Amino acid sequence: MSDVEILKPLKTWSHLAARRRKPSEYEIVSVNLQYNDRPGSAAPYELDPNVFMNRWYVEHRNNSPLKHKDWNSFRDPDELIYRTYCLMQDGQETYVYSLFDQFSAREHDKALTPQWAGTLARLYTPSRYLLHTVQMASAYLAQMAPASTIENCASFQAMDSFRWLSHVAYRTKELEGSFADKGFGKDERHYWEQDAAWQGFRELMEKTLVAYDWAECFVALNLVAKPAIEEGMLRLLGNVGRRNGDLVMSLLADAELIDATRHRRWVAALVKLALETDGNADVIRGWIAKWTPLADAAIDAYASAISESQSAADAAKQATATFRASLGL
Amino acid sequence: MTVLNRLDWYNIARDTNWTPTYVSDKDLFPEELTCAFGLPAEAFEEYDEPYKTTYPEYVKVQREKDAGAYSVKAALERSKMYENASPGWLSVLKLHFGAIARGEYSASSAECRMVRFGRAPGMRNMATFGMMDEIRHSQIQLFFPHQYVSKDRQFDWAFKSYDTNEWAMIAARHFFDDMMVTRGAVGVGMMLTFAFETGFTNMQFLGLAADAAEAGDWSFSSLISSIQTDESRHAQIGGPLVQILVKNGKKAEAQKMVDISIWRAWKLFSILTGPVMDYYTPLEHRKQSFKEFMQEWIVGQFERSLLELGLDKPWFWDDFLREIDEQHHGMHLGVWFWRPTVWWDPAAGVSPAERQWLEEKYPGWNDTWGHCWDVITENALEGNMAKTLPETLPVVCNMCQLPINYTPGPKWTMRDFPLTHAGRDYHFCSEGCRWVFEQEPSRYKDHQSLVDRFLDGQIQPPDLGGALKFMGLSPGEMGDDALKFAWVEEVRADRIKKAS
Ligand SMILES: [Fe+2]
Ligand SMILES: [Fe+2]
Repeated sequence: MSDVEILKPLKTWSHLAARRRKPSEYEIVSVNLQYNDRPGSAAPYELDPNVFMNRWYVEHRNNSPLKHKDWNSFRDPDELIYRTYCLMQDGQETYVYSLFDQFSAREHDKALTPQWAGTLARLYTPSRYLLHTVQMASAYLAQMAPASTIENCASFQAMDSFRWLSHVAYRTKELEGSFADKGFGKDERHYWEQDAAWQGFRELMEKTLVAYDWAECFVALNLVAKPAIEEGMLRLLGNVGRRNGDLVMSLLADAELIDATRHRRWVAALVKLALETDGNADVIRGWIAKWTPLADAAIDAYASAISESQSAADAAKQATATFRASLGL
Repeated sequence: MTVLNRLDWYNIARDTNWTPTYVSDKDLFPEELTCAFGLPAEAFEEYDEPYKTTYPEYVKVQREKDAGAYSVKAALERSKMYENASPGWLSVLKLHFGAIARGEYSASSAECRMVRFGRAPGMRNMATFGMMDEIRHSQIQLFFPHQYVSKDRQFDWAFKSYDTNEWAMIAARHFFDDMMVTRGAVGVGMMLTFAFETGFTNMQFLGLAADAAEAGDWSFSSLISSIQTDESRHAQIGGPLVQILVKNGKKAEAQKMVDISIWRAWKLFSILTGPVMDYYTPLEHRKQSFKEFMQEWIVGQFERSLLELGLDKPWFWDDFLREIDEQHHGMHLGVWFWRPTVWWDPAAGVSPAERQWLEEKYPGWNDTWGHCWDVITENALEGNMAKTLPETLPVVCNMCQLPINYTPGPKWTMRDFPLTHAGRDYHFCSEGCRWVFEQEPSRYKDHQSLVDRFLDGQIQPPDLGGALKFMGLSPGEMGDDALKFAWVEEVRADRIKKAS
């Protein structure tokens, strides 16, 4: 008689069943969802192992200089799933659009000075291009991430970037209604491609978009470029806006920075996980050293256009450095 | 002043193409990741997505949809659907979730490909929603079956399947990986969204939702029809691409991508959806036959949309129309016969009443497939169960990875479709599968089918037991006849009645 064991039903997925703890909804629907990393497979995808995309994933994901034996052990500290993301952001959007509604009822934009309107036309509304590059880069990070729990965070970040860009589009149209002569809705591409204030950010993001190693993309985007954009543009716009009587700008920046703060939580958790492996700290530091000069230059160029004093740029650069310093590198 | 209408600012949000100067356009959009056939960015700037949604609308609508689907599930948790469901219906659920849930997650990565490498801003924004939709589909289709894992070990395969070398999963991965994640952005738009999602997801998600409602599984019915509302939105990413390619002299390239996707989708659905609709779903709950669904959704609607967008019917359309009458019967027979190698319990679906239905829907069934089932039925009546079980592995096609089978009976149509390429012999189930291979052999040539792996010595011991181990199937997971042969007793009773 053979004593073949008949497998019994488990309380959860077999891949989660070994642990004693009951898995959360987050874990049930988020962990180990990718199958292109299954052990023993000839290639990431079930085709010729040498087809272009198989080589691309081997080179830019599997063979990344950043190593970890189990990227799937990563957990989003916010444990966001699709359902809770939509729930949360629907609430946030209700708030933002009620701001737009209230301030428009009070004719907020009519009270802005033409000079500030000109600043917005040159230094705020062209940011839709910049935010779109963040949307694109985040989607690249998502498709190359070595674990679904990382991929989800990057995907939600792409979606958040589209959220911010949508706010810019909305404000562009509103401001065009109040200031027909400032070039709203017309001159943004020109500023983005030509104005000295934007060239640092454009260079930073064009280069980040071709950082095809997944982990270098992560470091360039999430440890360097996004903090620079958030501190050197978004927060600055909010602060300067408030001083110019533009409460919409300042409250909107605050609302968006809630997303940015959440992004930094998963980023910090991922760095922490990476640091479990010897050698990763040096890899990350190397990339930070490579990318930070571009980001600092971008902040300098942008901040000097929006504010006379150098201190604004310095404060922004310092804030990005403080964030990186908090990561235990 | 009032709150702006969304169309006032929608166009601004999709005016985001710029001219890069710090890196080259070629580095920013490599051809293999973009699949633009050498067309410049300007060619894609005419792209106009037919379905327009904004960020705030998306999160609001999706929040409501989720609230609906999850609350139906919560409300029905104690409804005893599981306890009262027919074994065939539970097999439908197991097959569906195992073959689909994590494939949806891979679709999210494919949508990300379009967000990053699409050349039209409207396409990138629509794909951002598509990326989110597919996360939804994977998460919700894992959450729902998870409620059953403690009742039946086979439900573990709603998650586990994609990590295994179970033969149907090799086939599913081979298809989905070819259509979704190994293509450049335009390829994803054409093959996943236009060809596959416009046509075939309707079959699985609307067709099955109808059967589920009939079967009283409201939770599953509301789940998959909710999913299909997302699919029908992001499926529209592909249509404008077809028009742009046709207009810019790339009709042949567009046609080829669509043809490959349709042929391959057909093959997978002949095993995924065909047996489910015509054999597993209890007779009294069948809404339409698989063939009728195919004719309505694929032949009728999809054929029209192909022609409207300036493409032609695929060259294999006649083969395809013939196959929708036949192919899934053979797939069903194969799955049932090799039942220990699948993670669900196939329902034979050939009781006397069911056979009558099959003959009605597929005239000639009794003279062809019916004969095979006669032999199986006789063996089962005599208690000769070993003869109803396999000893070896099926021969599978080097493209679709599915068992090669043909309609038996008087018009025996057995044909092999071999090919020798660069010194290696390949076997295909059909002209269509061989043709797909010939279009781009480098995508497929060094892939090993299950049979190749067997001959390569990867399956040890080299018998069915070794194969089951290789496929990750243990007792408790392996499939068996869904009704434990109760249908054979119906046949016996029928015969006794007729004899007396
Ligand atoms: Fe989907
Ligand atoms: Fe889809």
